[in-house]
Amino acid sequence: MSLLRLEDVEKSYGTEEVLHGVGFEMDTRDVDVIVGPSGSGKSTLLRCVNRLTEIDGGSIFLDDEDVHAMDENDLRRRVGMVFQDFNLFAHRTAVGNVTLGLTEVLDLPSGEAHDRAMEYLDRVGLAEQADSYPAELSGGQKQRVGIARSLAMDPELILFDEPTSALDPELIGEVLGVMNDLADEGMTMLCVTHEMGFARSAATTLTFLDDGRIVERGPPEQLFDDPEHDRTREFLGDLTEIH
Amino acid sequence: MSADQTQPAAVGDLPGRRRVAVVTVGVVFWTWLSLRWAYHNTVLDAVATALGVPDLIRSETAVLAREPWLPTAPFANAAETLTAVGADLGPLGLVAEWLAWPFELTAFAIEGGPAMAAGAFITVYLTLASMVLGLAIAVPLSVARVYGGWLVRHISLAYTELVRGTPLLAQLFLLYYGLPLAEEIEGLGFVGEGAVPRAAVFVAIVGFTINSSAYQAEYIRGALQSVDSGQLVAARSIGLSKAAGIRHVVLPQGLRYAIPGWTNEFVYLIKYSSLAAFITVPELFRQARIIASDSFRVTDTYVVVAVLYLALVLTTALAMDRLESAVAVPGLGPADER
Repeated sequence: MSLLRLEDVEKSYGTEEVLHGVGFEMDTRDVDVIVGPSGSGKSTLLRCVNRLTEIDGGSIFLDDEDVHAMDENDLRRRVGMVFQDFNLFAHRTAVGNVTLGLTEVLDLPSGEAHDRAMEYLDRVGLAEQADSYPAELSGGQKQRVGIARSLAMDPELILFDEPTSALDPELIGEVLGVMNDLADEGMTMLCVTHEMGFARSAATTLTFLDDGRIVERGPPEQLFDDPEHDRTREFLGDLTEIH
Repeated sequence: MSADQTQPAAVGDLPGRRRVAVVTVGVVFWTWLSLRWAYHNTVLDAVATALGVPDLIRSETAVLAREPWLPTAPFANAAETLTAVGADLGPLGLVAEWLAWPFELTAFAIEGGPAMAAGAFITVYLTLASMVLGLAIAVPLSVARVYGGWLVRHISLAYTELVRGTPLLAQLFLLYYGLPLAEEIEGLGFVGEGAVPRAAVFVAIVGFTINSSAYQAEYIRGALQSVDSGQLVAARSIGLSKAAGIRHVVLPQGLRYAIPGWTNEFVYLIKYSSLAAFITVPELFRQARIIASDSFRVTDTYVVVAVLYLALVLTTALAMDRLESAVAVPGLGPADER
């Protein structure tokens, strides 16, 4: 039984079709990496999974439960998300960012929420910055707080929406380090990223999405070294050259 | 309503000695106003009488008959002397008369001070009550406007435009003379008894609350719209409902952005509360009108009143400045715009 299953998912914005029948499955502890050119629908696909965007056709199942039959807040408690531009709560400290979901969604008492938040900040190496406001943190630190905020909710799956794309090159490493640790610990992750090194080393499955369709999906070695489609070879070849 | 307002946030930025001077004037003014209020308060009078000091508080004295605490004679005499000297100086006498005027004015201010203090005190609580109640309406109003569905959005819009689009004086007249609101309030029994103000005061608070809520809602709406949309998305992505996300993430940021605009409205309300004079509320401006028509000293009266309003406004600006820095968060709000 798969943790997440997409069947024939379709999505349009007005007359512009973004996803044309996307379907795949992933299991618990899988690290699924989606790559594709910009505008291919990668981010939209992620946002459909936790219903920040509603799909127009097809279905999405979490643990065999149709996500559209679920309460959206329950769904989002079970599926975390990390954003490209962090979206940390600007008026709350690092630890305050993590505790908000704990006290308001999981109803933990504030002392317990604080302890748990500190635990997760420590896990991403930011216990000392707990009382800093987002404006006082570097991009890499912000993103690690973003990961801690999501992780602290104890989700079954975390969606990563280009988590390193807004970072200066020298800060990417610290975020990828945290993501690698998570992958090693068996966290289930669905990642949209351009980090080919991460895709090659950490992904259990790599998906190449182009123009709202899955062109190719399989083990990363296969897509990198022996892709079935020329389009995949072209895209991954280009990216690997850059990085 | 804000077009003729300059940014009233400069007082807190004053350096050293000037700041001390401003604060001293403020402390003297508020001490005087509070003591004047306490001296004529019915409740305190009852307490003092019960404690065995029946003459400590003089709540029975009618407003216009209240005694000043400072003697007027020295100032009046000084003015008289200067004028007398001026009479012998021919053309130069004009200068002596100018010099006499501040003394005359001071004597006049001391004499009219107690009545004006009674009015200023009403102006203060009229403004405070209307600001706070107005805020309580403005927040849901602005949230409805920014995040509501079609219907609530349009209800909020209609309310705001209706209130902002009609004259405040017309609104007050409608409430006071048009609707049976004053009679209803009067019928409550305790209104107008002892320390409880008369019905007109409550009608004025209702009117100013309604009016101010519309303006405050516009300031807050602007502030809410300047909160990055990713903030609510992030709140929702950890499982907060839209309402909880607005409450815990959008409003704490938006209200901080709203403080300068809100200060503007506060300062404005202090002054437009003078319209309550036209529905018989004995606030500062009405006391001034009574004093001016009794004494025929129109210029002197309104100079003194202007100084009192200025003291109220500057104190407010200073306090709001303090509030803004007390709730400031690094990287957020107008103080730290990047």
